[in-house]
Amino acid sequence: MNKFVITIGLLLLSNIAQATTEDQISFKSEQQKQLYLELTAELRCPKCQNQNIADSNAVVAKDMRVKTKQLLDEGQNKQQVIDYMINRYGQFAHYQPPFNVATSMLWLLPIGFILFAGFVQVKRSKSKQQVDEPTNLSDLDDELAQLLVSDSNNKIDTSASNNAKTEANVKDIK
Amino acid sequence: MTKKINFRFLPLVVFVLLLGFLLKGLFSDPSERDSALIGKSFPQFELPDLNSNNKMHTPETLLTEPVLVNVWGTWCTTCKYELPFLTKLANEYDVKIVGLYYDQNHAPEFGEYADIPTIRVEVKEMLARLGNPYQYNILDLDRSLSLDLGVTGAPESFLIDANGIVRMHHMGDVNERIWREKLAPVWNEISQ
Repeated sequence: MNKFVITIGLLLLSNIAQATTEDQISFKSEQQKQLYLELTAELRCPKCQNQNIADSNAVVAKDMRVKTKQLLDEGQNKQQVIDYMINRYGQFAHYQPPFNVATSMLWLLPIGFILFAGFVQVKRSKSKQQVDEPTNLSDLDDELAQLLVSDSNNKIDTSASNNAKTEANVKDIK
Repeated sequence: MTKKINFRFLPLVVFVLLLGFLLKGLFSDPSERDSALIGKSFPQFELPDLNSNNKMHTPETLLTEPVLVNVWGTWCTTCKYELPFLTKLANEYDVKIVGLYYDQNHAPEFGEYADIPTIRVEVKEMLARLGNPYQYNILDLDRSLSLDLGVTGAPESFLIDANGIVRMHHMGDVNERIWREKLAPVWNEISQ
C-alpha cells in the first residue's frame, strides 16, 4: 500500500516537473501574465487543426508563444498581438471570427431558424384554434340543415310519385 | 391547401441542403487555405547563408528576379521526395530556387541550441544524394522569417515576382502535378 502511494506520488511529481521545464516564463506583472494566458488561449495553432497555441507542442505554436511574449514585452496590447498573427497566418489563427459576409451565416442562420420555428408554431396553433371555434360548428349545422332540407324534398318528391302511382292503380281498379 | 404542400417538402429541402453541406466537408482539406501574404511584399529580413556565417542575405539580394523560395529541412521526410523534382525544375525550366532552411530544434528561450556544423554536413550529404536545386540556402535558425511568412512547417514554397510580391503559396511537396496545375501558370506569368 505504501509503495503504491509513493509510486503514484512520484508519477504526479514527474508530471509537474515535466510541465515546468519548458514554459518557465517570467512576467513583468500579473496583468501581463493574464494577457499572455488570454492570448495563447485565443490564438489558434495554424499547424494543428483544433488546438490553441497554449495547448499545442508544434514548433510553430512554440514560436508563436515566444513571439506573443516578446510583443507583450515590447508593450503591444492584445489587439496588436492578434493583428500581428493574423497578418501572417490569416484569420484562421484567431478563434474569434469577425462578422462579415462570409461569416454572417454563423450568426444569422440560428436566429433565422428560431424565428421560422416561432412563425410555424404560431401558424399551427392558430389553425388548430379555428377548428375549435363555434362559428365553424354553426357552419356545419347549416350544412347539415341544408342536407336535411334537400333530403326531405326528395322524400316529398317520392311520396308525390307514389301518390300518382296509387292514383293510377285506383284508375286500373276502376 | 397550397400552403400545406409547401411546408410538407420543407424538411426534405433542409435535409438535402444539410447533406450537401456535410458531403462537401467530407472532401475538403482543412489545411488548404490561402496564405495571408498573397499580394503583399516579401517580409524584411537579414539572415546568414547556410554555409557561411559572414555572408548575409536580405530582400535586396534575394528578390532581384522571380524566385521560388522553398522552406525545407533535412529532418523533413516530405522534403526528400520533392528534392529530385525541384532539381529538375531548376535544371530544365530555369526556375531560380532559393532554400530557406527551417530548423526545428533551435530554441534559445528553452535552452536548446542547434549545431550548425552538423546541419551543414547533413545538408551537403542529402543534396549530394537527392539533387541540389538551390542557388543558395538561407539559414533561418530562429524561424523569424518563417514566422513572418506564415510558415507552419516544411516543405512550403512561395513564388515571388520581380517586384518582390508574394504571388503564390503552396504547403506540402512540389511534384509534377502540383507544378503543372498550381505553380506553373503563375510562374510563367511572373517570369515573362
